[in-house]
Amino acid sequence: MVAVDLAPSVASAAPTDTERAARRRRRERWINLALLLPGAGFLLVAMIVPLIELLLASLGLFGLGATGKPTLGAYVEVASNVLFTSAFRFSLQIALATTLLSLVVATATAAVLQLDFPGRRLVSALYKIPLVVPSLIAAFLVLTMVGPGGMIARLLQPWGIRWPSLLHDPSGAGIVVVLLWHNVPITILIVSAVAAAIPRSVIDAARTLGAGPIRVFFRVIVPLSSPGISAAALLVFIDAFGTYAIPSLIGPAFPRTISVMMTAEFLLHARWGTASALGVAMIAMTGIVLALYHALLARSRLLSGEAA
Amino acid sequence: MNGLWFIRSKRLRWLIAGLVLAATTIVFIFPMIVAVLWSLVDPAVGWFPPHVLPASLSLANWQALFAVPELSQAFVTSFTVAVLVTALSLALGFPTSYALARRNLKHRRLIELLVLLPLTLPSVVLATGLGSVFIRLGLSQTLLGVVLAQCIVVMPFTIRILTATLSGVPQDLIDAARNLGAAPSAVARKVLLPMVLPGLFAGALLAFVGSLEEFLLSFVVGMPKIQTLPMLLWAYLGGRSSIQTYAAVVSLVLLIPTLAMLFMAERVLKQEHLAAGFGKG
Repeated sequence: MVAVDLAPSVASAAPTDTERAARRRRRERWINLALLLPGAGFLLVAMIVPLIELLLASLGLFGLGATGKPTLGAYVEVASNVLFTSAFRFSLQIALATTLLSLVVATATAAVLQLDFPGRRLVSALYKIPLVVPSLIAAFLVLTMVGPGGMIARLLQPWGIRWPSLLHDPSGAGIVVVLLWHNVPITILIVSAVAAAIPRSVIDAARTLGAGPIRVFFRVIVPLSSPGISAAALLVFIDAFGTYAIPSLIGPAFPRTISVMMTAEFLLHARWGTASALGVAMIAMTGIVLALYHALLARSRLLSGEAA
Repeated sequence: MNGLWFIRSKRLRWLIAGLVLAATTIVFIFPMIVAVLWSLVDPAVGWFPPHVLPASLSLANWQALFAVPELSQAFVTSFTVAVLVTALSLALGFPTSYALARRNLKHRRLIELLVLLPLTLPSVVLATGLGSVFIRLGLSQTLLGVVLAQCIVVMPFTIRILTATLSGVPQDLIDAARNLGAAPSAVARKVLLPMVLPGLFAGALLAFVGSLEEFLLSFVVGMPKIQTLPMLLWAYLGGRSSIQTYAAVVSLVLLIPTLAMLFMAERVLKQEHLAAGFGKG
């Protein structure tokens, strides 16, 4: 029972105890509702209304320029036009590359940060900087280093080495580099928190039983940290899949990410139908990834349960 | 501290320390220094490759922050919106946090999920739906529209922090105060408030910075009448490449409160607050 009521209880005129209890319960419920309405209620309305609008607009039922007759035209357009299909492929590519690379970099860094070396505290303060840097500024900061005319290009020029231009690069490499800078720190934070929670005795036991350091790392530390690692992967994937600011600035003219296509559809062409259909498809894909994540988690739990 | 216990050699440890420190400096500190240099470039001279350092420095770009109308306007808009979003998200979020932390709720888990929902939705999807709804409601291109839109993505953070703080207050203390004869209002003022003040402060800071940095929703809802600093930064970075210097100034103006918050948070607040706040970049 954590409930506290700071308000004085009002003496009720009801005679029986059950009646009094029921009235009290009802009053408690109204107080809860009144407390939740401004915050949670506002968020609920502010989420549900746009999502309903999105769904209706994608079916041509509602919204600006809709005819009011139900149609799947926007979805057919999204599924058949190469501009949109390539956008889906491009966004998926970027999200997968960012997720995999940030896991690799973050796991390695987290492993090094477990070591006690001079300056460790400084490093663990510094690597958190991108956590609070908005992605637009991240794009600017990274480009001043790796972009065309950036510091690396300038430093390499005297040696006659041409630094590849990451700006508007059709492979999406520039976008991935910025996304990595932005997403690796949160991954490190999560992975090291999980790794630190592994009991020392488990590792010692594995060592005593004759496992080498490499074997311990891959057979003990990685499996035991996998819930944290997969949660971090999920966060990075969703962020990289939906990111707008970075690809809109440094992405190529073709292919473009879904987010950039979507925004262009309604901001430049006022085609809210196709923009909404893209939005619904994006939610569906995020949902699939979430479902996959939960299925994977359940399966790994089942496997470890059987092993035990 | 057990991940690399197998590295025993002292010299190897120092080598690793050197490498990690160098990498961290290059990746996280150098870009900041270069951004500061860009903000100080003399516009009459410029800073062109292959020069590694600008030939001459000036404060002209910082003066532009107040002299160039679009910059000063965006500066005022951004900070006005941030103050309003902070006040609104604390006022609206506090009762919900109180209910989540200290009252019996039947569907507590569901409500917690609902509060976090705006963070799982890609903001470009939310922006599309919201843009259309706000045009219909006449909130498009208004200050109120931008404030409300930002509250949707800022409030989940404030509610989470406030809930964590409020549930951290021991019930014993409140019971003791009540037993000793304190009236409910006195308990709220003299016991609860002092104990949640750091959390309120953290929530306010996070809301302020979150609002200052928010780009996409403000962009879709506010453009072109309401222009915040991130929107201006987007314009300076995309295409109009000659204004790299202004981009640097705007970036630094946005970064200073943020970095100040990071270091304050590191010192004053517990790590959990930070982790709770920055679930999503």
